[in-house]
Amino acid sequence: MLKVTDIDVSYKDVQVLWDISFEVKQGEFVAILGANGAGKTTTLNAISGMLNIKKGKIEFLGKDITQIPGYKIAELGIIHVPEGRRLFPEMTVRENLEVGSLFPEAKSKRKETIKKIFEQFPILEEKQNKEAGTLSGGQQQMLALGRGLMALPKLLIMDEPSLGLAPVLCKQIFDNIKEINKDGVTVLQVEQNVVQTLQMCDRAYVLENGRVSLHGTGEELLNDEHIKEAYLGI
Amino acid sequence: MEDLWIKFGQTVISGLLLGGMYSLIAMGMTLIMGVMKIINLAHGALVMVGMYVTYVCSKNFGIDPYIGMFIAMPVLFLLGCLIQKYMINRLVEQDSILPENQVLLTVGIMLVLTEGIRLFFKSDYRSVATSYSSDTVFLGAMSISVPLVIGFIITIIFTLLLHLFLTKTDLGMSIRATAQDRDAAVYMGINASKITMITFGLGAALAAAGGSLLLPLFYLFPDIGHLFTAKSFIITILGGLGSVWGAAIGGLILGLSESLGATYISMGYKDVVGLVIFLLVLLFLPGGLRSLVKR
Repeated sequence: MLKVTDIDVSYKDVQVLWDISFEVKQGEFVAILGANGAGKTTTLNAISGMLNIKKGKIEFLGKDITQIPGYKIAELGIIHVPEGRRLFPEMTVRENLEVGSLFPEAKSKRKETIKKIFEQFPILEEKQNKEAGTLSGGQQQMLALGRGLMALPKLLIMDEPSLGLAPVLCKQIFDNIKEINKDGVTVLQVEQNVVQTLQMCDRAYVLENGRVSLHGTGEELLNDEHIKEAYLGI
Repeated sequence: MEDLWIKFGQTVISGLLLGGMYSLIAMGMTLIMGVMKIINLAHGALVMVGMYVTYVCSKNFGIDPYIGMFIAMPVLFLLGCLIQKYMINRLVEQDSILPENQVLLTVGIMLVLTEGIRLFFKSDYRSVATSYSSDTVFLGAMSISVPLVIGFIITIIFTLLLHLFLTKTDLGMSIRATAQDRDAAVYMGINASKITMITFGLGAALAAAGGSLLLPLFYLFPDIGHLFTAKSFIITILGGLGSVWGAAIGGLILGLSESLGATYISMGYKDVVGLVIFLLVLLFLPGGLRSLVKR
């Protein structure tokens, strides 16, 4: 579904990604793991068309999307739920959801999708007329996820959904994402919460210093000596 | 004693009516401010160009200023879009150019517009004479100028339309989304540079509307733009940067205080009142009126 081949990315003169290659298949749940500054978010932004890619190729559903500008990526079915949620803080919960569905297809199903999201997250229905900035962290993450779903994505990109959440909320959000994945949405998730992510994903790639250093199924990586030592502290 | 009350009432009402039209201009500035994150110092010059368009319609083609306004607005919308697309956006795309320099660019645009107009129209003071320019209506014993009343009614209609546009349409919501978080808007599939262009056009059109409504009340000359830049800047700060309702209320306050200042201090000092308010707001309420509403 998504195929990234040998991409290099630089911020001005500083190169941050080298020869990144990976693949996400239809219906899969793939994770990208790594420490701070390993290039995880940059990789996601490269897919979302937010960065200039010097070298390499990104294909989505067989189409070359390497040079397509960011605002057109969403319409192709790739929805990026950014790190830190990035809601529109002075718009209401409902307005945030509506802004998630601007394309003709998503717009025609706007009402039904909102209803579905309210069923999944009843708290959002209760607070639908409150400004997004007044929600708690967990509620904001639910809203960010809901806003992403409004576009009826084929591939959902989640950047650190657990950031700043208490363990209990973190588990709940992970369960929500897993559920969405089971409903047929392909998921690509970046996380620092290594154990929980490896337990729930199909496959994972590990980034170190801007390069892919390891990949395998969640189970394989959980038992990998290097992972145990570097990320799990065992 | 009764005379004093009549004088006071008349001062308050004319001030509020005039302030309404200031609001319209300031709403344009605050919209641009919201999306661009810069103060548009060419805003008054856009008001001035809008006034000249309406003036030419009236003088050369006999079109009433209140109709000419609907010619000036699309013209200025287009001018605003072009300025954004071919001048300001080119700077935005360069990472090495700081946002402060975009402000300098708007100063340059202001100079070009002002001097360009001077080339064609000279520095002469001009005014449009309409049949109702000096008409007044009576409210009890208070007399209120007709152009003020018409202008205020049109302002209210425009403010409501703008509010509906920003809250009920997808384009309006895209503008607000882009203002609140540009990157997140792009993730949602919003073409932020197109939205910025439309917003600049819209801001310029509002400037033209406000200018046209004020045309029957002010003498027109190329440098009048500075006056409106200063006024909308004060209103924008007073209302809270980027807040449309803040600008609406800020405009009324500025109009009211200018009017009170002109009546009770001196006509010559009416602009000083606005600047004093500006200083006081910056010192004691830096977030503007909007910060009072927020928790």
